[in-house]
Amino acid sequence: MLPLALSDVAISFPGLAEPVLAIDALSIPAGGRLAVTGASGSGKSTFVNLISGLTRPDRGTIAWRDTDIATLSESGRDRWRAANVGLVMQEFHLFPGLAAIDNVLLPARLAHAATAEVKTRALDLLARVGLSRPGQSVETMSRGEMQRVAVARALLRRPGVIIADEPTASLDAEAGAEVGRLLIELADQEGATLIVVSHDERLTERLGRRIRLAAGRVVSDTALEAAR
Amino acid sequence: MIRFVLADLRRLWAASLVIVLLVALATALGVAVTLQERALRLGSARAADKFDLIVGAPGSETQLVLSSVFLQPAALPLMSGDVLTRLTADRRVAWAAPIGFGDNFSGYPIVGTTTALVKGTTTGFTGGRMFALEGEAVVGSGVDLAIGAEVKPMHGAAGEGGETHADSAYTVVGKLQPTGTAWDRAILVPIQAVWHIHGLGEDHHEDEAHEEAGGEEHHHGHIDADAPLVEDFSHDVPGLPAVLVKPKTIADAYALRQAYRAEGGTRAVFPAEVLTSLYATLGDARTVLMYVAYGAQALVAAALMLIAVIHVAQRRRQIGALRAFGAPRLAVFGIVWLELLLLVGIGVGAGFAVGYGAAEFLAGLFTAQSGVRLPVEFSHSDALMAAAFLAVAALMAALPAALAYRQSPVEALRA
Ligand SMILES: Nc1ncnc2c1ncn2[C@@H]1O[C@H](COP(=O)(O)OP(=O)(O)OP(=O)(O)O)[C@@H](O)[C@H]1O
Ligand SMILES: [Mg+2]
Repeated sequence: MLPLALSDVAISFPGLAEPVLAIDALSIPAGGRLAVTGASGSGKSTFVNLISGLTRPDRGTIAWRDTDIATLSESGRDRWRAANVGLVMQEFHLFPGLAAIDNVLLPARLAHAATAEVKTRALDLLARVGLSRPGQSVETMSRGEMQRVAVARALLRRPGVIIADEPTASLDAEAGAEVGRLLIELADQEGATLIVVSHDERLTERLGRRIRLAAGRVVSDTALEAAR
Repeated sequence: MIRFVLADLRRLWAASLVIVLLVALATALGVAVTLQERALRLGSARAADKFDLIVGAPGSETQLVLSSVFLQPAALPLMSGDVLTRLTADRRVAWAAPIGFGDNFSGYPIVGTTTALVKGTTTGFTGGRMFALEGEAVVGSGVDLAIGAEVKPMHGAAGEGGETHADSAYTVVGKLQPTGTAWDRAILVPIQAVWHIHGLGEDHHEDEAHEEAGGEEHHHGHIDADAPLVEDFSHDVPGLPAVLVKPKTIADAYALRQAYRAEGGTRAVFPAEVLTSLYATLGDARTVLMYVAYGAQALVAAALMLIAVIHVAQRRRQIGALRAFGAPRLAVFGIVWLELLLLVGIGVGAGFAVGYGAAEFLAGLFTAQSGVRLPVEFSHSDALMAAAFLAVAALMAALPAALAYRQSPVEALRA
């Protein structure tokens, strides 16, 4: 599990006067739970991209324990993310034509990291997210099942942090609740830090802390009674 | 990675198939042209192998070779029969044999000649024996006649039709082993029979016009089927279209050519030499066809690039997302590159097979027509051509692969 400390982070895009995101200081302890909410366009996805190393801030430090990913090169961030971050997005980004198990293993295989141990773990994870047919082709799955495959993929390489951007937004209430429950449960079991961007009250209220963004700024930061 | 590439290609099998077909056709075009031209050269050279020196009347050298070596029907001018008399007596000559045309039987040319030519240009009989009487015939391996069959000569060259020589017929007494030449489709008879059937030789008709195109006036004679074979050409030989000469040495060959080229009423040619000049023309034709093939290949390559770039653009989200989930950048490059290279590789392989098949098919048609066997075979240069195709494909595939490589994962993830 990884602790996160942001300081003096800002990013702007060409043509925009104000920075899209500006965070003076934010820290999350190792194994912490954070929900991020805010209106559309408030900078939530930009936040996810920054802390997962997909984009680089204009200034500031994004320190995951001792690693300031703001100083890493693009391929350095790729490598760091592969080893430390489990990403779950609103869209599943699964590859049609491949079985569930092959989708879970695909990034690891492409990184030559799919050892026998990793393969066993992939099967185990599929079982833990409640999928009993690892050989099923993903395009034949329901949306809820697809997102559970994506969750298993995110957890494969024992990431120190799980970052999810609207993981339940494209699912119906029931499937969304199931995926939300799995994320929290697996983060607990694996001891991973969990950061979830969501509008879904039922999901965010179960995380220990909630920040709200507006126009790229943190406008509220609330500790919640963990309703677990 | 391979597994992913294969799954991807399987999913996009229709588009993949189209790409493979395009590549295969463009490749096959070039391969077929190359193989066919090579086969024509090798085949005709082999067919002319036994024909050292041909002596005929002045006229087109090419026509003389085409008519005598490849038995292509055409009206050759005649030269005086004395030429054969002198050649047979020449000490530089191992043997000299007349080649007389004029008749055909169900599409096979009937060629009048001597036992010396049959022995000298073939490897022997698969059945039967050499002709020994005026009314006997020997057939090439490609002639669909059994020993004992009766051959009623039709006047005129093969394919022209014409009347039969009603009261004359040959009996097939021998079948030759295949030689891979036009003579495999010929019916060989004693030259004296050809003379007699056209009313020549018995009396001294040296000024007789040769009657192959037929039409006006026929001096019909008939063969005396049981007359013994006479191969003495020391006097009173009728006019002849061509004589095949086997010189004793290479020096003799050049000396003879010089002698009979200089002489007024004759012309002497080395078929190999005439073919070489024909090959130059053939080479030009090949060059033109190869440019056509290159053009087709360039078009296909351009089309492929377009398809690949559009394809990558359409899949940038899918492919770029791989990086977000932990695939290395190079793997993303590798996937696109490998997919394209695999398709082109399969296409080139299939193209070589199709090109070979097409060349074989054409060669088969040609052999059926002419009797000349065309050897369709690959050479080292073809391996180079395949390697060049793949190298170009590898380079070209790098462009869409680089596009995928440069694809930002953030853009890819944005829904
Ligand atoms: N590459 C970019 N270039 C210019 N503007 C950008 C870029 N990326 C994001 N923005 C802008 O930054 C703002 C924040 O975008 P972001 O995607 O983070 O919003 P969000 O909070 O995730 O919204 P949503 O809830 O709709 O997903 C938006 O106004 C967006 O237009
Ligand atoms: Mg967003």
